Amino acid sequence: VPIAETEHFGAITYIEDSVIEFPEGIPAFETERRFLLIERESSAPVVFLQSLQRPDLLFLTLPASAIDPSYHGCVPAEDLERLGLPSGRYPEEGSQVLTLALVTVREDRSATANLMAPVIVNLATRRALQSVQPDSGYSVAVRLRGSRQGKEA
Amino acid sequence: MLVIRRKAGESVLIGDDIEIEVIDISPTRVKLGIKAPDTIAILRKEIRLTGEQNRQAARGVSAAAIEDFVARLRC
Repeated sequence: VPIAETEHFGAITYIEDSVIEFPEGIPAFETERRFLLIERESSAPVVFLQSLQRPDLLFLTLPASAIDPSYHGCVPAEDLERLGLPSGRYPEEGSQVLTLALVTVREDRSATANLMAPVIVNLATRRALQSVQPDSGYSVAVRLRGSRQGKEA
Repeated sequence: MLVIRRKAGESVLIGDDIEIEVIDISPTRVKLGIKAPDTIAILRKEIRLTGEQNRQAARGVSAAAIEDFVARLRC
């Protein structure tokens, strides 16, 4: 069983089937291709995205629907294609894809989520990308409930 | 900011090496063609904003910050 060294979780075992592949990385981290999705009951609904290449690289994410219950993304057709999904029909959240917003926690403890550019995981192939959607109407820093002084959406 | 009106098919030149041509205009979009040396990075601005946000997101994750964030998320 492979073991991943991580700064936050220590050494964790994982199975290869649980690895998420970002064939193109994500903006500013283009060479980080392999991540683990880690969900812990104690920190639900947070989903951690831990790099397998860099023990110190960890992202906090939240399902987009946990931030905005009426969330509906507008994934560009080319992103659906890159994920290996048919571009004619919007994939079903939870069964076909997982849509996660990367969270930024600032020093003043305010937190924001990037709903303009969610990470989308194809659950069947475990391929993922960060889908930049300038037309979505969301900002890269949507203020989260319970957080002070964050930027407004 | 310099503002210039252009029609489809017209271009602007920036310095000696960069040409931006308006290829097509629709009610909601313009299609631009850009000629520039390979050494110049051309990026959609939202990609850069996302990269900057990703860098910030990666920076703030200490164990204490995570615990604090989860606790406040639940209250």
